[in-house]
Amino acid sequence: MEYLSTDKILVIDLNTAQVEEEDLSDSLVEEKIGGIGITKYLYETYQDDDPIVIGTGLLTGTTYPASGASQITAKSPVTEKLCHCPIIYKLGLEIKYSGFDYIVIKGQSPKPVYLWIHDGVADISDAGDLWGKNVWETTDTLRNFVGDDLLQTMMIGPAGENKSDYAQVCYNHWNSPDRFGFGKLFGTKNLKGLAFRGMGMIEVAEPEDFVERSLEILKEIKENSFLEKQGIAPMLTALGEADVEEWIAPVTHRHSADYFTPYASNTALFLDEDPGLLEESKKEEPGILVSDIYALLGFKKLGLSAMDTGHALKACAKHGIDPFAVATLSGKESLADIEASLESITGKLELPGQGTFTPWCPVGPVFNDFGLGCEQMPAWWERRQALSMIFGIQPMFALMSPELSEANMLELASMGTELELTQETLDAVINDICG
Amino acid sequence: MGIKINAIKCTNCMACEMVCSYHRDDGFAFLSACIVAYRAREKKDYFGVLLKEEELLVVARPEGLEINKIGEEADPDKEADASAKPMLLREGCDLCEDMDDYGPMCVAFCPVDAITLD
Repeated sequence: MEYLSTDKILVIDLNTAQVEEEDLSDSLVEEKIGGIGITKYLYETYQDDDPIVIGTGLLTGTTYPASGASQITAKSPVTEKLCHCPIIYKLGLEIKYSGFDYIVIKGQSPKPVYLWIHDGVADISDAGDLWGKNVWETTDTLRNFVGDDLLQTMMIGPAGENKSDYAQVCYNHWNSPDRFGFGKLFGTKNLKGLAFRGMGMIEVAEPEDFVERSLEILKEIKENSFLEKQGIAPMLTALGEADVEEWIAPVTHRHSADYFTPYASNTALFLDEDPGLLEESKKEEPGILVSDIYALLGFKKLGLSAMDTGHALKACAKHGIDPFAVATLSGKESLADIEASLESITGKLELPGQGTFTPWCPVGPVFNDFGLGCEQMPAWWERRQALSMIFGIQPMFALMSPELSEANMLELASMGTELELTQETLDAVINDICG
Repeated sequence: MGIKINAIKCTNCMACEMVCSYHRDDGFAFLSACIVAYRAREKKDYFGVLLKEEELLVVARPEGLEINKIGEEADPDKEADASAKPMLLREGCDLCEDMDDYGPMCVAFCPVDAITLD
């Protein structure tokens, strides 16, 4: 696969510590397109080894708007279903630029390890010194060790090591969209996580046309009035939660976006620092970055202040546990009790639809109505989630922007690869994923 | 004429970095960009934009603009960002002079208009 690709599938056997590389064939892309179309195929190929498959989308890391996402596909140790979790922030992008389109992790390591993926090289490294550290300590330790603060990580904390059902794979220091207990799966495999850094280059078949069309789509997106807003609170307002913006304002610092995503959907809360501070804080850990609207809302509905909610989210991120599960299942209503409960979260969370996609994303459109009726919503949501994770589109923004259409994703993927990718193929891939 | 950066409007999305590097390399990469979204202070949520011009290094911080002449000693009280050192080895901004249809790519592709033409 020459274009929009690193042409590499990495296959790691944790049982034997063997690392192999396979080429990504044009024929596989012509049949499955990319992202979860291919991670599902790879999962099925290696399913006897209970694999975790990490994959980039076909448009990930390009000039197509919001193309920063990658995904994890694995069987949830909680629901026993094959699930797909988006990889967001700047991490999804880094995976492709570190030199691999897909990473299959098979088997179980006899001792704690982490995978260090950089510039087309993959190492299985001893994680003895990392095991026992929380998510923040782990990421900081690895960044210091490598001497690069831009290192991107996908790690578990104590919850994953202790195999909690709601252990989450966290991204850098932050909670992730993982509602499937993938952190438990990592822990079961003695896999502390993965670290990525790359300076690769992705070739594109028709660069001038690809970039020109990308800009046309971006210009259409910028016509949306919702882009005057920023952050997590306006999304909740749009979903009918009227008083969140006022509640969260006293601790809101700034908003940031995932790679090339026009809406800044991540909000930093400052907890031990003046939220209005524009200079670099002298405190090492002044706050928490929040991307999970329902975790935020869950703590709010327990009666916590925005400040205490921030502290609860921070504790969850360090422990590596799904904050929505904590808010929903802990049965606690004070910050101290919630923090004390992180080791003992049990119960069952309902997943929408077939349980394949994460309800970290609202089950319906945000800011725009996409012309949908209520009865169309569940099927539309699953199709939209599948679409975003085939092409590598930030999944929250895919629910905001009708300008990101199936037609123009296919158009740019075909243009960028010189392969003939049709609507019929896309329909078949989505049907295979969604059933 | 030059690039003007509003670091308060910036959302740290890295679009500028990608398209700048594309302008140099005709492929998708980040290695050659003369404009980068600096993001090494992640836990502090402190970010902005670095721009290398022909003779100047422009640091657009949330608290204001800092312009350093390349080759002169930087402010010893300010710790350099991890992104800064490789920047000095890269070509300076040429305002995408060969991109007739676009003008500067970082201006055209900034989704929040934090980068404009001065």
